[in-house]
Amino acid sequence: MHSNQVTAPARTAVVGLVGNPNSGKSSLFNLLTGLRQRIGNFPGVTVEKKSGKLKLAEIRTPVGTMDGEIAEDVRGVREVEIIDFPGAYSCYPTSLDERLVVQELTNPAGDLYPDAIVYVADVTKLDKHLLLFTQLRDLDLPMVLVLNMADLIEETGLKVDVERLSSRLRVPVVPVSARQGTGVDELKEVIADLLRNPEAYRPEEPFYEPGTRARDVLSELRRVLPARNNYHALLLAHHASWLKHIPEKTRHLVQESRVKHGFHSLRAQVEETMERYDTFEPIVRDTVRRGTNQSSLTDKVDNVLTHQIFGPLIFVVIMVFLFQALFAWSAWPMDGIEWIFESLGTGVRAILGPGWLTDLLVDGVIAGLGGVLVFIPQIAILFFFIALLEEVGYLARAAYMFDSIMQRFGLNGRSVVALISGHACAIPAIMSTRTIANWKERLLTILVTPLTSCSARIPVYVILISFAVPDVSWGPFGAQGLAFTGLYFLGITAAMLSALAFKLVLKSPERSFLMLELPEYRSPVWRNVGVTVWQKVKTFIVEAGKIILLISVVLWGLSTYGPPGAMDAARTQVQSQVETQGLDDDQAADLLASEQLEASFAGHIGKAIEPAIRPLGYDWKIGIALFSSFAAREVFVGTMAIIYSIGSTDDELRIQDRMAEEINPRTGEPVYNQATAWSLLVFYVFAMMCMATTAVTKRETGGWKWPIIQFTFMTVLAYVSAMVVYQVLS
Amino acid sequence: MPFPRTTTAALYTIGTTGVIDRFTNENLAGKLLDIGVRPGSRLSIIRKSPFGSCWYVKIDRHCLALRKQELACILIK
Repeated sequence: MHSNQVTAPARTAVVGLVGNPNSGKSSLFNLLTGLRQRIGNFPGVTVEKKSGKLKLAEIRTPVGTMDGEIAEDVRGVREVEIIDFPGAYSCYPTSLDERLVVQELTNPAGDLYPDAIVYVADVTKLDKHLLLFTQLRDLDLPMVLVLNMADLIEETGLKVDVERLSSRLRVPVVPVSARQGTGVDELKEVIADLLRNPEAYRPEEPFYEPGTRARDVLSELRRVLPARNNYHALLLAHHASWLKHIPEKTRHLVQESRVKHGFHSLRAQVEETMERYDTFEPIVRDTVRRGTNQSSLTDKVDNVLTHQIFGPLIFVVIMVFLFQALFAWSAWPMDGIEWIFESLGTGVRAILGPGWLTDLLVDGVIAGLGGVLVFIPQIAILFFFIALLEEVGYLARAAYMFDSIMQRFGLNGRSVVALISGHACAIPAIMSTRTIANWKERLLTILVTPLTSCSARIPVYVILISFAVPDVSWGPFGAQGLAFTGLYFLGITAAMLSALAFKLVLKSPERSFLMLELPEYRSPVWRNVGVTVWQKVKTFIVEAGKIILLISVVLWGLSTYGPPGAMDAARTQVQSQVETQGLDDDQAADLLASEQLEASFAGHIGKAIEPAIRPLGYDWKIGIALFSSFAAREVFVGTMAIIYSIGSTDDELRIQDRMAEEINPRTGEPVYNQATAWSLLVFYVFAMMCMATTAVTKRETGGWKWPIIQFTFMTVLAYVSAMVVYQVLS
Repeated sequence: MPFPRTTTAALYTIGTTGVIDRFTNENLAGKLLDIGVRPGSRLSIIRKSPFGSCWYVKIDRHCLALRKQELACILIK
């Protein structure tokens, strides 16, 4: 601690936000940092790291005070980094999320080791939430205890003696309502003081002293373990086998010592936890007076929402409503975005005139970008609903209701969250699986989640369904709309059945848990919902935008240029054809365009894979689209736009109309007949066409094995099913 | 309705309430303790999950979803 004060602050001070799940920690984080958040990953692990900057008013003491002079106080603003650690129940982690907290808080040499901890506890659950608090306090970290949900103190008649709590726990205690934004200024002052003067906040005595067996191990290991105090050493002794900052040699020593002294980790944990409860429970009883029973509303709501029969029915109704709203509400903003990009393209073409740069900008960049940005309304709406369901506490209920079904398929109740989120985007869905403690259940969820129809498939479905299903309707149900719903069901059914297949293949001796907290229903904090939607949309635009922009440009290049000589040969051939057949200018231009595409690099690639995809009913042009879709499936529409627009004289036609005009030269039939369209649809439902998801699977599973298995499995499934569909329908 | 003397919570019926005595499985005990289920807590069985095998329980005032095997390691006095 002293060394920190002497050396000039080489790094920004780090403040860690720690607390139990459902303590309102993220609400407080959003309140403190607003949109000034950065989402990254914790180094070496896959858990999402949220950090942000916090400005603290500060009395800065200039360098030179060390010699004892009283220097002038300089009032200024100090910026600190605030890290939102994942929610954890104790220092004995069961999930990846919790492991990370222990990993970073026991590693004083790490970059993320906090200079101070803001410990967030739900004021209505202090009797549970103080367990982790006392553990971290014993690690000798400067701490402030935040009593979140202070708005409930008045509402429910809860009475908390803050001063007394503070003096008995020997830390500053600040009541905060992240919902109403009260108490934040006071909290900032306390944080500033904590950082300025950490020595004043060091604990005088620990809450817990290790038992006899543990003491033997500790006295032997204190010399080799890089521990700050006894409790720190105890945690290292418990967790040495997986903590990344413990060298291999030390791990062996720890193991030997544990065996020698008969140190039983589980038993020691249970003893410690019981003792801690015994220590802080009287403090809570002494300082908190409970008012009326505030969870009676939750009880009433849950009587209906988690009812044995009505519960699942209501769930289905909510999901149907969600997807209905998704399509109904997103229709006109999507039309608007499309219109903007079409006008932009036409405008640019009119200003720049014909030429290769115009083609690149209009057909490559603008068409590609438009193809991505058109998803924004749907992604925003989907994440809005998912964030809302999470905020009010419904997702935990869904996990409870479907746990037993999920278990039959080798999954966990918590997988429901991933499978719902997967309909927005597989990436956050896969990241949400880290709350599943059982590795096999988590792995299965990761493997099958990409089979659910994510929002990137929507535009592909929209275009192809118009060829697959006639535009008829019976009453309120349109055939195309039903087909759409059918594709979603196909995706989720495939996901469940695949999970079942993997369950039978994979063996795991690990125990599986549910043990799920069902938090009280709360009206949503709109700020949190807004921040989530904003962040997901931003990530989507940036990440998907980069890939799609790159691919559009590359694809445009590949389809405009060809091997030397081939393009010229195509041109000469077209010229002679024009002369012999007496074609007019328009026909000549179209013929030239299609011959040149065939002669281009893209045409060569398409031709090369054509034999493999002919049984599925695809020609080489679809081959080009498939090939580029493996980077990101949403590229399909842009690719179609590029393939069918190059060289053509009429830019007014929509992609769909151009595709409808396409004739198969061998059969003389339209290329996009029912069989081909259905075959393509099925292919896009099943195929793993998203590099970003593959990358996330690799990160989350820690190697190439599972992403490769996932990719192969899904692609084979897509290929075989599409072939069957085509052969049956044609 | 009181439980008979020290039985496992898996022998529940809906509406039963009792005080937790101890746990029979150390592995599960560690996790249960972490989420605030501990000897002395009052446990009541509220309802069964729609497709069976899980239970909606209340520990003191907090709601929790537990599987049948998880309840089976909790002894009630």
